[in-house]
Amino acid sequence: MAGAERPSPSPGEGSGRQAQVLCEDLQVVYPGEQGAKPVHALQDINLEVDEGQFISLIGPSGCGKSTLLRVLADLITPTGGTARINDHPPRTARLNREVGFVFQDAALLEWRRVLANVALPLELQGVPRAERQARARELIELVGLKGFERSYPRQLSGGMRQRAAIARAMSTSPKVMLMDEPFGALDQITRDRLNLELLELSQRQRMTVLFVTHSIREAVLLSDRVAVMSARPGRIIKLLEIDLPRPRTLESRETDAFERLARTGVHVLEEGFGVS
Amino acid sequence: MTRTSSTPIDTRERGWAGGRLGAALGVLLPPLAAFVVMAGVWEAAVLLFEIPAYILPAPSRIWVSLIKDGGSILGHTGITLFEAVAGFTIGSCLGALLGIAFAYSRILARGLLPYVIAANTIPVVAIAPIIILWFGHGIPSKIAVTAFLSFFPLALNMMKGLQSYDHTVMDVFHVAAASPWQRFAKMRLPSSLPYVFVGLKLNVTFSVIGAIIAEFVQADRGLGFVIMTAYRTLNMPRLWAAMLMSAIIGILFFALVALIERLLIPWHSSMRDRVRG
Repeated sequence: MAGAERPSPSPGEGSGRQAQVLCEDLQVVYPGEQGAKPVHALQDINLEVDEGQFISLIGPSGCGKSTLLRVLADLITPTGGTARINDHPPRTARLNREVGFVFQDAALLEWRRVLANVALPLELQGVPRAERQARARELIELVGLKGFERSYPRQLSGGMRQRAAIARAMSTSPKVMLMDEPFGALDQITRDRLNLELLELSQRQRMTVLFVTHSIREAVLLSDRVAVMSARPGRIIKLLEIDLPRPRTLESRETDAFERLARTGVHVLEEGFGVS
Repeated sequence: MTRTSSTPIDTRERGWAGGRLGAALGVLLPPLAAFVVMAGVWEAAVLLFEIPAYILPAPSRIWVSLIKDGGSILGHTGITLFEAVAGFTIGSCLGALLGIAFAYSRILARGLLPYVIAANTIPVVAIAPIIILWFGHGIPSKIAVTAFLSFFPLALNMMKGLQSYDHTVMDVFHVAAASPWQRFAKMRLPSSLPYVFVGLKLNVTFSVIGAIIAEFVQADRGLGFVIMTAYRTLNMPRLWAAMLMSAIIGILFFALVALIERLLIPWHSSMRDRVRG
């Protein structure tokens, strides 16, 4: 097998204590098509996320939430400012397998069984078969899919497919997990259950998570901080600290503190709409 | 261009579960019964209305003709089958290569695609004499004609197939730092297989037709040759027997490709079932 892309030597490694994810004056401008005005998908994004933190990005459609994640995953090159993961540019972080990405669509390979789907990133990395399968089995158990290793994606429900996608994203043990509305297409009950499991998983694995969602209640339940964004230009208008005690459960949503935070979030969101 | 293959009939679940023999009978029995009835009506009609054999030979006469010089017809059938399979293989492989080139080079596709589509519409009867002139009188020229016919459907379907990947899956590969070769081998090529098999199934039909037409133009053996000579001597039972054999090799060849498709992409047709709910 031809070798995968190799990371280039990264400058400035180990230069003191840094935020795990760092955005400084980040800007993404799409050129306007045929005379139309250029679109400011992201403007002046300043964000620091420490190791093990869970941060949600919320905002109206077109506010650049997904664009921000895609910049961090090196799927989009920013037009201005800097983004760094573990003090590396996104490209280096990606080539070092420091980033995991879970999309709204599970995007599993239909011709592979669950085991081979979960092991895919390790396979692409060149990890020997026995080793990557052992790791995949571990993760499959971790996300609650034990017994479905030999199933094909089409035999799984939407929730199970998303579990497999999460396990796949975790296979290379990335330090930063980017999740773009991973539960957006699921029904409420499945969504609640996966929220709960993600809460536990992110705590136990000490993953740094950037989580895009449309649901303020989901954001408050899961996060240490919620970044509320506004559209055109896409910018962060408010960072809400979520100081609800951990461990949280679905019942955390029935407390007054939760309701207060959710209400605040909704107000800020509405202001954001007013600005645009 | 017809796409008979794009409406899958999924007999797989029944086929593997328990009564496999019963399921096979369930699939085979209705067409067999229809065949017996049709042949019976045909035979009776020929007898009843005293239809002369050169207009419509009775099934029994076709059968007798087939048995009588069975060895000869079987030999000709083998030659036509060989030409069809060889041309199919060569044409499909070359077509696949061009399709890959088109999928990876926009400039190449822009420049050549119009000509490929145009060439694809050339009737085989027009191109066959030219190719036979180039490649001579033997079997190679027949193979060249079938290869020509098999080339374009696969080039077009291969290109379309390689372009039909899921973009989120591509993002997954990108985030996982996959090399271009890995993207091709583990993602784009498998995603293209449903399209490739649409092309291959078209080519099965085209290659049998192509071989026979090429033999019409010039040959001293093969089913096309048998049909031409039988026609000239008005030996209609023999002509019908040759026609029957050409249908049989077409069906067998198609069944083989369909079987390979089922083995290679079992995920595909049922994936469509899931989408349709």
